[in-house]
Amino acid sequence: MTGSRALAVWAQVAAHAAAQGQRPSVADVCAVAVSSAQLSGAWVVAARGSDPDFVMCVTDPVSEQLAELQLTLGEGPCRDVLASAAPVLAGDLGDAESARRWPAFTPAACQLGAGALFAFPLIVGAIRAGVLGLYRSSPGPLPGRRFGDLLILADAATVMLLGSEHGDAENGDGAALDGQAPDLALHRAEIDQATGMLTVQLGVPVAAAFARLRAYAYSQDRRLADVAGDIVARRLRLGRDPGQHGGP
Amino acid sequence: MDTELLSDTFVELADTMVAEFDVIEFLHLLTDRSVALLAASAAGVVLADPRGELRVAAASSEEAELLELFQLQNDQGPCLECFRTGRAVTATDLAGPAPQWPRFAEAAARAGFRSVEALPMRLRDQVIGALNLFGAGPGGFDAADLRIGQALADVATIGLLHERNVRRRETVAEQLQGALNSRVVIEQAKGKLAERLSIDMGRAFKMLRDYARNSNQHLTDVARDFVDGATADFPPPARRQPHR
Repeated sequence: MTGSRALAVWAQVAAHAAAQGQRPSVADVCAVAVSSAQLSGAWVVAARGSDPDFVMCVTDPVSEQLAELQLTLGEGPCRDVLASAAPVLAGDLGDAESARRWPAFTPAACQLGAGALFAFPLIVGAIRAGVLGLYRSSPGPLPGRRFGDLLILADAATVMLLGSEHGDAENGDGAALDGQAPDLALHRAEIDQATGMLTVQLGVPVAAAFARLRAYAYSQDRRLADVAGDIVARRLRLGRDPGQHGGP
Repeated sequence: MDTELLSDTFVELADTMVAEFDVIEFLHLLTDRSVALLAASAAGVVLADPRGELRVAAASSEEAELLELFQLQNDQGPCLECFRTGRAVTATDLAGPAPQWPRFAEAAARAGFRSVEALPMRLRDQVIGALNLFGAGPGGFDAADLRIGQALADVATIGLLHERNVRRRETVAEQLQGALNSRVVIEQAKGKLAERLSIDMGRAFKMLRDYARNSNQHLTDVARDFVDGATADFPPPARRQPHR
Protein backbone atom coordinates (compact mmCIF):
# COMPACT_ATOMS: atom_id res chain seq x y z
CA MET A 1 0.00 0.00 0.00
CA THR A 2 2.41 2.63 -1.20
CA GLY A 3 0.41 4.61 -3.74
CA SER A 4 1.94 2.74 -6.67
CA ARG A 5 -1.52 1.83 -7.90
CA ALA A 6 -2.47 5.49 -8.21
CA LEU A 7 0.72 6.18 -10.15
CA ALA A 8 -0.02 3.31 -12.55
CA VAL A 9 -3.56 4.56 -13.20
CA TRP A 10 -2.42 8.17 -13.71
CA ALA A 11 0.26 6.93 -16.10
CA GLN A 12 -2.53 5.43 -18.25
CA VAL A 13 -4.27 8.81 -18.39
CA ALA A 14 -1.03 10.57 -19.33
CA ALA A 15 -0.32 7.95 -21.99
CA HIS A 16 -3.80 8.34 -23.48
CA ALA A 17 -3.32 12.11 -23.71
CA ALA A 18 0.19 11.76 -25.13
CA ALA A 19 -1.11 9.46 -27.86
CA GLN A 20 -3.38 12.31 -28.99
CA GLY A 21 -0.59 14.85 -28.68
CA GLN A 22 -2.55 16.72 -25.99
CA ARG A 23 -2.25 17.69 -22.36
CA PRO A 24 -4.21 15.35 -20.06
CA SER A 25 -7.82 16.35 -19.51
CA VAL A 26 -11.05 14.94 -18.14
CA ALA A 27 -11.71 13.50 -21.61
CA ASP A 28 -8.68 11.22 -21.12
CA VAL A 29 -9.92 10.23 -17.67
CA CYS A 30 -13.29 9.25 -19.17
CA ALA A 31 -11.68 7.26 -21.97
CA VAL A 32 -9.38 5.34 -19.61
CA ALA A 33 -12.27 4.69 -17.20
CA VAL A 34 -14.36 3.16 -19.98
CA SER A 35 -11.62 0.94 -21.34
CA SER A 36 -10.16 -0.23 -18.02
CA ALA A 37 -13.52 -1.05 -16.45
CA GLN A 38 -14.93 -2.37 -19.73
CA LEU A 39 -17.91 -0.06 -19.71
CA SER A 40 -19.93 1.50 -22.50
CA GLY A 41 -19.46 5.20 -21.86
CA ALA A 42 -18.56 7.95 -19.40
CA TRP A 43 -19.16 11.62 -18.74
CA VAL A 44 -18.08 14.38 -16.39
CA VAL A 45 -20.46 17.01 -15.09
CA ALA A 46 -19.20 20.12 -13.27
CA ALA A 47 -20.92 21.22 -10.07
CA ARG A 48 -22.20 24.58 -9.00
CA GLY A 49 -22.57 24.71 -5.24
CA SER A 50 -23.83 21.30 -4.20
CA ASP A 51 -25.65 20.50 -7.45
CA PRO A 52 -24.54 19.09 -10.77
CA ASP A 53 -24.56 21.96 -13.22
CA PHE A 54 -23.29 21.33 -16.74
CA VAL A 55 -21.71 18.64 -18.85
CA MET A 56 -17.93 18.98 -19.26
CA CYS A 57 -17.27 15.99 -21.51
CA VAL A 58 -18.80 12.77 -22.80
CA THR A 59 -17.37 9.75 -24.60
CA ASP A 60 -20.45 9.00 -26.75
CA PRO A 61 -24.01 10.15 -27.52
CA VAL A 62 -25.73 7.83 -25.02
CA SER A 63 -23.52 9.17 -22.22
CA GLU A 64 -24.44 12.69 -23.26
CA GLN A 65 -28.13 11.85 -23.09
CA LEU A 66 -27.77 10.14 -19.71
CA ALA A 67 -25.89 13.16 -18.35
CA GLU A 68 -28.35 15.71 -19.72
CA LEU A 69 -31.36 13.67 -18.62
CA GLN A 70 -30.25 13.77 -14.99
CA LEU A 71 -29.73 17.53 -15.17
CA THR A 72 -33.14 18.06 -16.74
CA LEU A 73 -34.98 15.79 -14.32
CA GLY A 74 -32.99 16.93 -11.29
CA GLU A 75 -32.90 13.27 -10.31
CA GLY A 76 -30.48 10.36 -10.62
CA PRO A 77 -27.24 8.85 -9.33
CA CYS A 78 -25.19 11.91 -10.33
CA ARG A 79 -27.26 14.18 -8.12
CA ASP A 80 -27.24 11.67 -5.26
CA VAL A 81 -23.48 11.31 -5.12
CA LEU A 82 -23.00 15.04 -4.57
CA ALA A 83 -25.62 15.07 -1.83
CA SER A 84 -24.22 12.03 -0.03
CA ALA A 85 -20.52 12.50 -0.87
CA ALA A 86 -20.36 8.78 -1.65
CA PRO A 87 -20.39 6.84 -4.92
CA VAL A 88 -23.49 5.11 -6.26
CA LEU A 89 -23.01 1.70 -7.86
CA ALA A 90 -26.26 0.75 -9.56
CA GLY A 91 -25.35 -2.53 -11.19
CA ASP A 92 -28.86 -3.22 -12.40
CA LEU A 93 -31.10 -0.36 -13.46
CA GLY A 94 -33.84 -2.92 -14.00
CA ASP A 95 -34.12 -3.83 -10.34
CA ALA A 96 -36.66 -2.57 -7.82
CA GLU A 97 -34.06 -0.56 -5.91
CA SER A 98 -33.26 1.64 -8.93
CA ALA A 99 -36.93 2.18 -9.75
CA ARG A 100 -37.53 3.22 -6.14
CA ARG A 101 -34.59 5.58 -5.94
CA TRP A 102 -35.02 7.29 -9.32
CA PRO A 103 -38.61 6.78 -10.48
CA ALA A 104 -38.39 9.25 -13.36
CA PHE A 105 -34.78 8.69 -14.40
CA THR A 106 -34.60 4.89 -14.34
CA PRO A 107 -37.14 4.00 -17.05
CA ALA A 108 -35.77 6.72 -19.32
CA ALA A 109 -32.19 5.53 -18.75
CA CYS A 110 -33.16 1.94 -19.58
CA GLN A 111 -34.86 3.21 -22.74
CA LEU A 112 -31.58 4.85 -23.74
CA GLY A 113 -29.86 1.50 -23.41
CA ALA A 114 -28.24 1.69 -19.98
CA GLY A 115 -28.22 -1.55 -17.98
CA ALA A 116 -25.94 -0.39 -15.18
CA LEU A 117 -24.85 3.04 -14.01
CA PHE A 118 -22.00 4.05 -11.71
CA ALA A 119 -21.44 7.55 -10.39
CA PHE A 120 -18.53 9.01 -8.43
CA PRO A 121 -18.56 12.38 -6.70
CA LEU A 122 -15.58 14.53 -7.69
CA ILE A 123 -14.89 15.90 -4.23
CA VAL A 124 -12.17 16.62 -1.73
CA GLY A 125 -13.92 16.86 1.62
CA ALA A 126 -16.17 19.91 1.42
CA ILE A 127 -14.88 20.84 -2.05
CA ARG A 128 -17.34 19.74 -4.73
CA ALA A 129 -16.01 19.88 -8.28
CA GLY A 130 -18.49 17.67 -10.11
CA VAL A 131 -19.48 14.10 -10.91
CA LEU A 132 -17.99 11.27 -12.98
CA GLY A 133 -20.74 9.11 -14.46
CA LEU A 134 -20.33 5.80 -16.25
CA TYR A 135 -22.72 3.33 -17.81
CA ARG A 136 -22.73 -0.14 -19.25
CA SER A 137 -25.38 -1.36 -21.65
CA SER A 138 -25.56 -4.74 -19.90
CA PRO A 139 -26.42 -5.00 -16.20
CA GLY A 140 -23.88 -6.41 -13.75
CA PRO A 141 -21.78 -5.23 -10.82
CA LEU A 142 -18.49 -3.43 -11.11
CA PRO A 143 -15.66 -5.91 -10.48
CA GLY A 144 -14.02 -5.11 -7.13
CA ARG A 145 -10.63 -4.35 -8.58
CA ARG A 146 -12.07 -1.80 -10.99
CA PHE A 147 -13.71 0.18 -8.21
CA GLY A 148 -10.35 1.22 -6.78
CA ASP A 149 -9.11 2.29 -10.21
CA LEU A 150 -12.25 4.36 -10.81
CA LEU A 151 -11.79 6.10 -7.46
CA ILE A 152 -8.28 7.05 -8.53
CA LEU A 153 -9.55 8.25 -11.90
CA ALA A 154 -12.22 10.30 -10.13
CA ASP A 155 -9.44 11.91 -8.04
CA ALA A 156 -7.59 12.81 -11.25
CA ALA A 157 -10.75 14.36 -12.73
CA THR A 158 -11.34 16.30 -9.50
CA VAL A 159 -7.88 17.80 -9.54
CA MET A 160 -8.23 18.70 -13.22
CA LEU A 161 -11.59 20.41 -12.72
CA LEU A 162 -10.28 22.38 -9.74
CA GLY A 163 -7.10 23.31 -11.57
CA SER A 164 -8.83 24.64 -14.64
CA GLU A 165 -11.46 26.46 -12.61
CA HIS A 166 -8.92 28.26 -10.50
CA GLY A 167 -6.71 29.58 -13.22
CA ASP A 168 -4.11 26.88 -13.49
CA ALA A 169 -3.78 28.16 -17.04
CA GLU A 170 -0.01 28.58 -16.82
CA ASN A 171 0.48 25.17 -15.29
CA GLY A 172 -2.28 23.65 -17.36
CA ASP A 173 -4.10 20.50 -16.53
CA GLY A 174 -0.73 18.87 -16.82
CA ALA A 175 0.03 20.10 -13.32
CA ALA A 176 -2.26 17.36 -12.17
CA LEU A 177 -0.03 14.71 -13.61
CA ASP A 178 3.46 16.13 -13.75
CA GLY A 179 4.75 16.62 -10.27
CA GLN A 180 1.63 16.13 -8.28
CA ALA A 181 0.35 12.66 -9.10
CA PRO A 182 2.71 11.11 -6.58
CA ASP A 183 1.62 13.61 -3.95
CA LEU A 184 -2.02 12.70 -4.15
CA ALA A 185 -1.29 8.99 -4.42
CA LEU A 186 -1.19 8.64 -0.66
CA HIS A 187 -3.72 10.71 1.19
CA ARG A 188 -2.36 12.91 4.02
CA ALA A 189 -4.44 14.63 6.67
CA GLU A 190 -1.99 17.56 6.64
CA ILE A 191 -3.06 18.41 3.10
CA ASP A 192 -6.67 18.75 4.24
CA GLN A 193 -5.68 20.68 7.35
CA ALA A 194 -3.45 23.03 5.37
CA THR A 195 -6.32 23.60 2.93
CA GLY A 196 -8.55 24.66 5.82
CA MET A 197 -5.83 26.89 7.23
CA LEU A 198 -5.38 28.58 3.88
CA THR A 199 -9.05 29.59 3.69
CA VAL A 200 -8.23 31.89 6.62
CA GLN A 201 -4.67 32.85 5.63
CA LEU A 202 -5.73 33.77 2.11
CA GLY A 203 -9.33 34.75 2.78
CA VAL A 204 -10.63 32.51 0.00
CA PRO A 205 -13.19 29.69 -0.32
CA VAL A 206 -11.96 26.16 0.22
CA ALA A 207 -11.72 25.14 -3.45
CA ALA A 208 -9.50 28.14 -4.17
CA ALA A 209 -7.42 27.43 -1.06
CA PHE A 210 -6.75 23.91 -2.30
CA ALA A 211 -5.85 25.17 -5.77
CA ARG A 212 -3.41 27.74 -4.29
CA LEU A 213 -1.79 25.07 -2.13
CA ARG A 214 -1.20 22.83 -5.13
CA ALA A 215 -0.05 25.72 -7.30
CA TYR A 216 2.45 26.79 -4.65
CA ALA A 217 3.87 23.27 -4.26
CA TYR A 218 4.14 22.96 -8.04
CA SER A 219 5.85 26.34 -8.41
CA GLN A 220 8.37 25.43 -5.70
CA ASP A 221 8.84 21.93 -7.12
CA ARG A 222 8.04 20.48 -3.72
CA ARG A 223 5.86 17.61 -2.67
CA LEU A 224 2.35 18.66 -1.74
CA ALA A 225 2.48 16.70 1.54
CA ASP A 226 5.73 18.43 2.55
CA VAL A 227 4.38 21.92 1.84
CA ALA A 228 1.21 21.04 3.74
CA GLY A 229 3.31 19.76 6.64
CA ASP A 230 5.20 23.08 6.78
CA ILE A 231 1.96 25.06 6.78
CA VAL A 232 0.43 22.93 9.55
CA ALA A 233 3.62 23.22 11.61
CA ARG A 234 3.46 26.98 11.03
CA ARG A 235 6.86 27.07 9.38
CA LEU A 236 5.24 28.49 6.28
CA ARG A 237 2.42 30.96 5.64
CA LEU A 238 1.04 31.80 2.23
CA GLY A 239 0.30 35.47 1.59
CA ARG A 240 -2.71 36.92 -0.16
CA ASP A 241 -0.61 37.79 -3.20
CA PRO A 242 0.26 34.73 -5.28
CA GLY A 243 3.96 35.48 -5.17
CA GLN A 244 4.17 36.25 -1.47
CA HIS A 245 5.04 33.71 1.15
CA GLY A 246 7.06 33.62 4.31
CA GLY A 247 7.77 32.14 7.70
CA PRO A 248 5.52 32.50 10.72
CA MET B 1 -11.61 -5.85 33.27
CA ASP B 2 -14.05 -3.42 34.79
CA THR B 3 -17.33 -5.21 34.03
CA GLU B 4 -19.45 -2.18 34.84
CA LEU B 5 -17.46 -0.11 32.37
CA LEU B 6 -17.89 -2.95 29.89
CA SER B 7 -21.69 -2.96 30.17
CA ASP B 8 -21.86 0.82 30.15
CA THR B 9 -19.75 0.89 27.01
CA PHE B 10 -21.89 -1.55 25.09
CA VAL B 11 -25.11 0.10 26.23
CA GLU B 12 -23.74 3.45 25.09
CA LEU B 13 -22.66 2.12 21.70
CA ALA B 14 -25.97 0.32 21.16
CA ASP B 15 -27.96 3.41 22.15
CA THR B 16 -25.95 5.45 19.69
CA MET B 17 -26.54 3.02 16.88
CA VAL B 18 -30.33 2.90 17.12
CA ALA B 19 -30.55 6.63 16.60
CA GLU B 20 -29.21 8.74 13.76
CA PHE B 21 -25.51 9.24 14.18
CA ASP B 22 -22.43 10.63 12.53
CA VAL B 23 -20.11 7.82 11.54
CA ILE B 24 -16.84 9.63 12.35
CA GLU B 25 -18.12 10.74 15.76
CA PHE B 26 -19.20 7.15 16.38
CA LEU B 27 -15.78 5.78 15.51
CA HIS B 28 -14.17 8.34 17.81
CA LEU B 29 -16.43 7.27 20.63
CA LEU B 30 -15.45 3.70 19.96
CA THR B 31 -11.71 4.41 20.00
CA ASP B 32 -12.06 6.42 23.23
CA ARG B 33 -13.94 3.56 24.88
CA SER B 34 -11.45 1.00 23.56
CA VAL B 35 -8.65 2.82 25.33
CA ALA B 36 -10.60 2.94 28.60
CA LEU B 37 -11.84 -0.65 28.50
CA LEU B 38 -8.65 -2.34 27.40
CA ALA B 39 -6.28 -0.08 29.30
CA ALA B 40 -4.57 0.80 26.04
CA SER B 41 -2.38 3.84 25.65
CA ALA B 42 -3.86 4.71 22.29
CA ALA B 43 -6.21 3.31 19.69
CA GLY B 44 -7.35 4.01 16.16
CA VAL B 45 -9.71 2.76 13.50
CA VAL B 46 -8.00 2.32 10.17
CA LEU B 47 -10.01 1.74 6.98
CA ALA B 48 -8.85 0.10 3.78
CA ASP B 49 -9.43 2.47 0.88
CA PRO B 50 -9.74 0.57 -2.40
CA ARG B 51 -7.41 3.15 -3.96
CA GLY B 52 -4.78 1.01 -2.27
CA GLU B 53 -4.21 2.73 1.06
CA LEU B 54 -4.90 2.35 4.76
CA ARG B 55 -6.44 5.53 6.14
CA VAL B 56 -7.24 6.64 9.68
CA ALA B 57 -10.93 7.18 10.30
CA ALA B 58 -10.61 7.97 14.02
CA ALA B 59 -7.92 7.97 16.68
CA SER B 60 -7.87 8.40 20.46
CA SER B 61 -5.64 11.44 20.17
CA GLU B 62 -4.64 13.96 17.53
CA GLU B 63 -0.96 13.66 18.39
CA ALA B 64 0.95 13.80 15.12
CA GLU B 65 3.22 11.01 16.35
CA LEU B 66 0.30 8.64 16.75
CA LEU B 67 -1.25 9.53 13.41
CA GLU B 68 2.10 8.99 11.75
CA LEU B 69 2.14 5.45 13.14
CA PHE B 70 -1.03 4.66 11.22
CA GLN B 71 0.38 6.23 8.09
CA LEU B 72 3.59 4.17 8.33
CA GLN B 73 1.59 0.98 8.30
CA ASN B 74 0.96 1.49 4.62
CA ASP B 75 4.48 0.12 4.22
CA GLN B 76 4.71 -2.31 7.09
CA GLY B 77 3.07 -3.03 10.39
CA PRO B 78 0.30 -4.92 12.16
CA CYS B 79 -2.61 -3.21 10.37
CA LEU B 80 -1.22 -4.04 6.95
CA GLU B 81 -0.71 -7.65 7.95
CA CYS B 82 -4.13 -7.79 9.59
CA PHE B 83 -5.75 -6.42 6.47
CA ARG B 84 -3.95 -8.91 4.23
CA THR B 85 -4.55 -12.00 6.38
CA GLY B 86 -7.92 -11.11 7.91
CA ARG B 87 -6.57 -12.26 11.27
CA ALA B 88 -5.67 -10.48 14.49
CA VAL B 89 -1.99 -9.52 14.58
CA THR B 90 -0.05 -9.03 17.80
CA ALA B 91 3.36 -7.79 18.80
CA THR B 92 4.04 -8.04 22.49
CA ASP B 93 7.39 -6.29 22.59
CA LEU B 94 8.29 -3.85 19.85
CA ALA B 95 11.50 -2.99 21.69
CA GLY B 96 12.64 -6.59 21.68
CA PRO B 97 15.33 -8.08 19.42
CA ALA B 98 14.60 -8.63 15.72
CA PRO B 99 11.25 -6.81 15.55
CA GLN B 100 8.92 -7.88 12.78
CA TRP B 101 8.45 -4.43 11.35
CA PRO B 102 11.69 -2.55 12.05
CA ARG B 103 10.72 0.94 10.85
CA PHE B 104 7.29 0.78 12.41
CA ALA B 105 8.66 -0.67 15.67
CA GLU B 106 11.22 2.10 15.94
CA ALA B 107 8.64 4.83 15.38
CA ALA B 108 6.25 3.19 17.83
CA ALA B 109 8.94 2.93 20.47
CA ARG B 110 9.79 6.61 20.01
CA ALA B 111 6.14 7.42 20.54
CA GLY B 112 6.23 5.45 23.81
CA PHE B 113 4.47 2.27 22.69
CA ARG B 114 5.87 -1.18 23.28
CA SER B 115 3.04 -3.48 22.32
CA VAL B 116 0.51 -3.35 19.53
CA GLU B 117 -2.56 -5.22 18.39
CA ALA B 118 -4.51 -5.03 15.14
CA LEU B 119 -7.99 -6.57 15.15
CA PRO B 120 -9.72 -7.08 11.82
CA MET B 121 -12.91 -5.31 10.90
CA ARG B 122 -14.52 -8.01 8.84
CA LEU B 123 -17.79 -8.25 7.03
CA ARG B 124 -18.29 -11.79 5.77
CA ASP B 125 -15.33 -12.40 3.48
CA GLN B 126 -14.15 -8.81 3.27
CA VAL B 127 -11.67 -7.05 5.57
CA ILE B 128 -12.62 -3.38 5.53
CA GLY B 129 -10.14 -2.15 8.12
CA ALA B 130 -8.71 -2.71 11.58
CA LEU B 131 -8.96 -1.57 15.17
CA ASN B 132 -5.37 -0.76 16.14
CA LEU B 133 -4.45 -0.75 19.83
CA PHE B 134 -1.19 0.40 21.41
CA GLY B 135 0.17 -0.42 24.86
CA ALA B 136 2.93 1.36 26.76
CA GLY B 137 4.40 -1.77 28.33
CA PRO B 138 5.51 -5.03 26.80
CA GLY B 139 3.24 -8.05 27.01
CA GLY B 140 0.29 -6.75 25.07
CA PHE B 141 -3.30 -7.56 25.85
CA ASP B 142 -4.65 -10.72 27.46
CA ALA B 143 -7.13 -13.14 25.89
CA ALA B 144 -10.12 -11.58 27.63
CA ASP B 145 -9.07 -8.13 26.37
CA LEU B 146 -8.71 -9.44 22.84
CA ARG B 147 -12.18 -10.97 22.83
CA ILE B 148 -13.64 -7.63 23.85
CA GLY B 149 -11.36 -5.85 21.40
CA GLN B 150 -12.60 -8.02 18.54
CA ALA B 151 -16.19 -7.35 19.60
CA LEU B 152 -15.44 -3.62 19.49
CA ALA B 153 -13.93 -4.01 16.02
CA ASP B 154 -17.11 -5.82 14.95
CA VAL B 155 -19.23 -3.01 16.40
CA ALA B 156 -17.14 -0.51 14.42
CA THR B 157 -17.89 -2.48 11.25
CA ILE B 158 -21.61 -2.56 11.95
CA GLY B 159 -21.58 1.13 12.81
CA LEU B 160 -20.09 1.97 9.43
CA LEU B 161 -22.86 0.18 7.62
CA HIS B 162 -25.76 1.02 9.86
CA GLU B 163 -27.92 2.89 7.46
CA ARG B 164 -28.20 0.71 4.48
CA ASN B 165 -29.06 -2.70 3.25
CA VAL B 166 -25.73 -4.44 3.62
CA ARG B 167 -26.55 -7.48 1.57
CA ARG B 168 -25.21 -5.57 -1.39
CA ARG B 169 -21.43 -5.70 -1.51
CA GLU B 170 -21.64 -2.32 -3.24
CA THR B 171 -23.17 -0.77 -0.14
CA VAL B 172 -20.04 -1.50 1.86
CA ALA B 173 -17.88 0.17 -0.77
CA GLU B 174 -20.16 3.21 -1.03
CA GLN B 175 -20.45 3.68 2.74
CA LEU B 176 -16.70 3.42 3.28
CA GLN B 177 -16.07 6.18 0.75
CA GLY B 178 -18.66 8.35 2.49
CA ALA B 179 -16.89 7.80 5.81
CA LEU B 180 -13.46 8.54 4.34
CA ASN B 181 -14.72 11.76 2.78
CA SER B 182 -16.32 12.79 6.08
CA ARG B 183 -12.90 12.46 7.64
CA VAL B 184 -11.48 14.83 5.01
CA VAL B 185 -14.21 17.41 5.72
CA ILE B 186 -13.37 17.23 9.41
CA GLU B 187 -9.65 17.71 8.75
CA GLN B 188 -10.42 20.77 6.60
CA ALA B 189 -12.57 22.17 9.40
CA LYS B 190 -9.86 21.51 11.98
CA GLY B 191 -7.39 23.46 9.86
CA LYS B 192 -9.73 26.41 9.37
CA LEU B 193 -10.57 26.60 13.08
CA ALA B 194 -7.00 26.06 14.26
CA GLU B 195 -5.81 28.93 12.04
CA ARG B 196 -8.67 31.23 13.00
CA LEU B 197 -8.14 30.81 16.75
CA SER B 198 -4.41 30.07 16.71
CA ILE B 199 -4.89 26.76 18.49
CA ASP B 200 -3.60 23.26 17.80
CA MET B 201 -5.46 20.66 15.78
CA GLY B 202 -6.39 18.62 18.84
CA ARG B 203 -8.11 21.55 20.48
CA ALA B 204 -9.80 22.55 17.25
CA PHE B 205 -11.18 19.03 16.89
CA LYS B 206 -12.45 19.02 20.45
CA MET B 207 -14.26 22.33 19.89
CA LEU B 208 -15.94 21.01 16.75
CA ARG B 209 -16.95 17.82 18.52
CA ASP B 210 -18.28 19.57 21.61
CA TYR B 211 -20.24 22.06 19.53
CA ALA B 212 -21.80 19.28 17.44
CA ARG B 213 -22.81 17.37 20.53
CA ASN B 214 -24.18 20.40 22.36
CA SER B 215 -26.15 21.64 19.37
CA ASN B 216 -27.39 18.16 18.51
CA GLN B 217 -25.91 18.13 15.04
CA HIS B 218 -23.80 15.63 13.12
CA LEU B 219 -20.10 16.30 13.46
CA THR B 220 -19.63 16.07 9.67
CA ASP B 221 -22.46 18.55 9.05
CA VAL B 222 -20.96 21.03 11.51
CA ALA B 223 -17.57 20.59 9.87
CA ARG B 224 -18.94 21.01 6.35
CA ASP B 225 -21.01 24.07 7.23
CA PHE B 226 -17.96 25.62 8.88
CA VAL B 227 -15.66 24.92 5.93
CA ASP B 228 -18.26 26.17 3.43
CA GLY B 229 -19.20 29.19 5.55
CA ALA B 230 -18.13 32.65 4.49
CA THR B 231 -16.71 33.42 7.92
CA ALA B 232 -14.37 31.56 10.20
CA ASP B 233 -16.22 32.68 13.32
CA PHE B 234 -16.82 29.90 15.78
CA PRO B 235 -19.32 29.04 17.14
CA PRO B 236 -20.85 29.77 13.76
CA PRO B 237 -23.70 32.26 13.33
CA ALA B 238 -27.23 30.88 13.70
CA ARG B 239 -27.73 27.93 11.39
CA ARG B 240 -29.78 28.43 8.26
CA GLN B 241 -32.08 25.73 6.98
CA PRO B 242 -30.08 23.45 4.66
CA HIS B 243 -30.47 24.27 0.97
CA ARG B 244 -31.78 21.35 -1.06
